[in-house]
Amino acid sequence: MSVVSAGVVGELRQILVQATGREELLDTSDQTPLFGAGVGLDSLSGVMLLREVHRRFGVDVAAEDLNLDALATLATLAAFIEERAG
Amino acid sequence: MMVKCVIWDLDNTLLSGVYLETAARPPAPDPAMLAVLRQLSARGIIHAIATRNPPEAARYAAAVTGLDFAAAESGWGRKSDAVRRIITDLGLGPDAVAFVDDDLYERAEVSLAVPEALVLSPEDMAEAVGWPEFSPATVTAEGARRGELYAQRRRRQEEARAFAGSRDEFLRYCGTRVAIGPAADADAPRLHELSVRTHQFNTTGEAMAEAELRALIASPAHQVATVRLSDRFGDDGLVGGCVSHRGPGPGWTVTLLMMSCRALGRGVIEALLAWLARSAARDGAQELVVPCLVTPRNVPLRLALAASGFRAPEDTGTAERPRVARFARTLSGPPPPLPGWVTAPGEP
Repeated sequence: MSVVSAGVVGELRQILVQATGREELLDTSDQTPLFGAGVGLDSLSGVMLLREVHRRFGVDVAAEDLNLDALATLATLAAFIEERAG
Repeated sequence: MMVKCVIWDLDNTLLSGVYLETAARPPAPDPAMLAVLRQLSARGIIHAIATRNPPEAARYAAAVTGLDFAAAESGWGRKSDAVRRIITDLGLGPDAVAFVDDDLYERAEVSLAVPEALVLSPEDMAEAVGWPEFSPATVTAEGARRGELYAQRRRRQEEARAFAGSRDEFLRYCGTRVAIGPAADADAPRLHELSVRTHQFNTTGEAMAEAELRALIASPAHQVATVRLSDRFGDDGLVGGCVSHRGPGPGWTVTLLMMSCRALGRGVIEALLAWLARSAARDGAQELVVPCLVTPRNVPLRLALAASGFRAPEDTGTAERPRVARFARTLSGPPPPLPGWVTAPGEP
């Protein structure tokens, strides 16, 4: 796995707050699971997050990742983006 | 407030397909939306277009519907900016427009940026012709009730924005009730309607005829379940359903899973998937399989499947054309919990 820059994770954290409308998620660690308890990413917040990622980084995660494994944590999502955005 | 202008998205909303994918032979108008368009025009309501397409798509829509559009915004910017420009151009108040789009992201974006506008899915729009906002003289009791549902939804959304806490805490605060139950013969028309109108939460993308639904409801080899949703803001009625059966082998298969997007963000699809896993496990099944057509439109469904622990093998077809992926979840290990606000067969 490539080394992920803190910049991308930080930007993703901002997008996550925007997608969920929950300011407290600014404290989300890059290892916290996005699905399930805690962040609790669901269909609506998930779609908002994926669209904003597509818009800012040009990476269409839903088209390239059938199981959406990239959405496991902010770290996996950042790695997925960096691998493709080059 | 009366709606004076309806602003339409084109792809998969006013048109029954994507314009640029089929520009040589562009898609026909969606018959249900065309009927709405004509009904509203007859009442003196004007129409406009906001589309992520070149301007010729708007000209095509005007030609093929035989209607004059008061304004058309074409381009790849934000939909809310297009809506604002139309409002300014036509000299309307933001509370005098409705915006119709099949895409929940676009609807959320416009709702946030222009909160006064009435933001509707095509499914809502098909019903909205009977709402007081569109028809002061011809409101039926049912139309008024459904208009009230929309008002309830807006109140819920406003409270959700102001609420500090997790989604589950908000659902509990709302007094959410999700009732899963066996479908009765009388549910067939609404289930058929859902199979036609749901796209973002639909595993097959195909309409299922009422007769077929009735046969499945009566079949001892199949389980047809309905999902009803209510909370203290209002009763949304029957918002989802699924068809499942035993097999193949030691598994259970869900051949159809669908949910109205008005239940979005309210824990309904997650509750249904958890209950399916629990009932299949109680029946001795080792795996729950949900074959799902993979399209750009039902990404919300894939998010729900991923969040509920389903996975599909990657080697099914190509990204370019829709394919059916076999999403499955093992039933070994502890069953997924069912939130306290869900009532369902076999659950205490």
